[in-house]
Amino acid sequence: MKLSASEIQALLPLFFPALAACLLPIAALDRDQKSTKWIRGALFAVALFAVGLSFHYFTGLWAQGFQPSIGHLRMDRLAQFTGIFVMVAAALAILQLWDHLHHEGWVRGESLSLLLFSCVGMVVFASTSHLLLLFLGLELLSIPLYALTATVRTRPQAVEGGLKYFLTGAVAASCFLMGAVLLYGFTGSLDVGVIGAALNRNPEPLALLGAALLLLGFLFKISAVPFHQWTPDAYEAAPHPIAGFMSVATKGAALIALLRVFPGALSMGEPLGAKVRMAVAILAAATLVLGNLSALSQTNVKRMLAYSSISHAGYLLLGLVAGTPNAQAGMLFYLAVYLAMNMGAFGLLTVFGLVGDRTHYDDLRGLGWKRPGVALAASLCMFSLAGIPPTAGFYGKYMIFKELIGTGHVGLALLGVLASLVSVYYYLRVMVVLFMEAPRPGQAREAGEAPAVHAPFAGATLLVCGFLVILAGLIHPRLMNDFALRALDAFR
Amino acid sequence: MTPVQAILSGGLQGYILVALLLFVIGLATVLLRRTLLMQFMGVELMLNAANLALLAFGRFRGGEVQATAFYLFIIGVAACEAAVGLALVVVLHRLRESTDADRADLLKQ
Repeated sequence: MKLSASEIQALLPLFFPALAACLLPIAALDRDQKSTKWIRGALFAVALFAVGLSFHYFTGLWAQGFQPSIGHLRMDRLAQFTGIFVMVAAALAILQLWDHLHHEGWVRGESLSLLLFSCVGMVVFASTSHLLLLFLGLELLSIPLYALTATVRTRPQAVEGGLKYFLTGAVAASCFLMGAVLLYGFTGSLDVGVIGAALNRNPEPLALLGAALLLLGFLFKISAVPFHQWTPDAYEAAPHPIAGFMSVATKGAALIALLRVFPGALSMGEPLGAKVRMAVAILAAATLVLGNLSALSQTNVKRMLAYSSISHAGYLLLGLVAGTPNAQAGMLFYLAVYLAMNMGAFGLLTVFGLVGDRTHYDDLRGLGWKRPGVALAASLCMFSLAGIPPTAGFYGKYMIFKELIGTGHVGLALLGVLASLVSVYYYLRVMVVLFMEAPRPGQAREAGEAPAVHAPFAGATLLVCGFLVILAGLIHPRLMNDFALRALDAFR
Repeated sequence: MTPVQAILSGGLQGYILVALLLFVIGLATVLLRRTLLMQFMGVELMLNAANLALLAFGRFRGGEVQATAFYLFIIGVAACEAAVGLALVVVLHRLRESTDADRADLLKQ
């Protein structure tokens, strides 16, 4: 088989992370990685280099405005947006992993390989409308994540969380697969565009069941209610950077895939389309309310962040309900901002070396004054998550709510505003604990005896995240027009 | 007669019925059984139900190659999933001496 130049250009950004992912386990077989720092360093450097190369190719394609494709894998602007988004998240996660795994005392090269495989899967998932490739992408992104969740396999909690994630994820993937097969059987095509047209001509009940099962697979990955129960357990079990990566990149890739597959291709005729939009609106509202209310009562910061990520899935789904080009661009903008602020929020736990299950609010008491710069950056991320101007999170929500009101969903917009008002409480609580509460007496003594926590890379990523959150707030019109709106050029 | 009607009234009916039945049995196994290994088998049952339906549809559409290719991919993916899942069950068993799903309750508020 001979590949043309443009086909090679479509494959290159995926080739290097996949190659590195295949090679890293060989290097990780070396038993010396436990004792020799430079071997560990080399592993992490190779992973970062592969991610950087992929980022370089994606941005190169973006700058040229070139949209190559190979087979059913289309590297159009939306796919390039996903690629850039996922690779930045992966780079931040790798840097934070270096510090976190050293704190845990469990540095293994395999976790990097799994992370890279998962990145490739995410890009594949978001760059095709062919059911076979969608399924392959979905599995390639989720199977490594099951293993990554249980990376620190000496902790029973980690393994348990990994298993819970695995079982629920495998059921969702099977449902996705059954939906794909039913759609294929009743329409005779694996391409979502053709399927949508065929469904519009004659909506067969079993084929519609297939479409519903397919949608379930996506909603599970986005962790929308009622498919959200795995989220807090999986995030609590996973290493902090992996939890951040899962919350950002998985959600982003699944939402972009949904954006590609759902409104464009599976747009139903009038009576059905209205029902589907209604269903999505109800799910979005339920996700928003449930995520926010559960986050209020958490005592564990990681579980709070997990529920907060569920509620953010609600905001993002609201963009899908509005459905206008501006709303979809708003979703993409919000995703980009969400990347910075959530990686920052999970980075906070890494920076202070809170390993194992020491991730409760009490463990954060008074830590802010130890490293004020980093804690301030984390506070900016929290402000942004809560949607307080002038941080970027505010503009993301504003764009989505504006479009909601424009399309007549005033009630939903109002619900969104109320939900983000409620969310201010639990995000600010982190800051209050960080800066305004003194550590417990016993805790202070323990902290004095424990060795000082070094987290140079995680600290740096946190500062970058804090800076990005402010910067994205300042230049949000440019980011919206040059980045988010242009990503949608492709499939219009 | 449209293809869809042909599917529902022709010889394919039985295959689809069996596949859907297997799928539901698998789902019920995952939801109701409390042993991790049994739940795991339920997942495999769901995947293979989809496989069965896929092959039946492919056969009905004149032996389309894409259905067969899809089928082979599914088998490969299911094997990978099984490897990761079984590894997790084994590790949990080593730590816990039990594969009872009800005892996996460390992660709760």
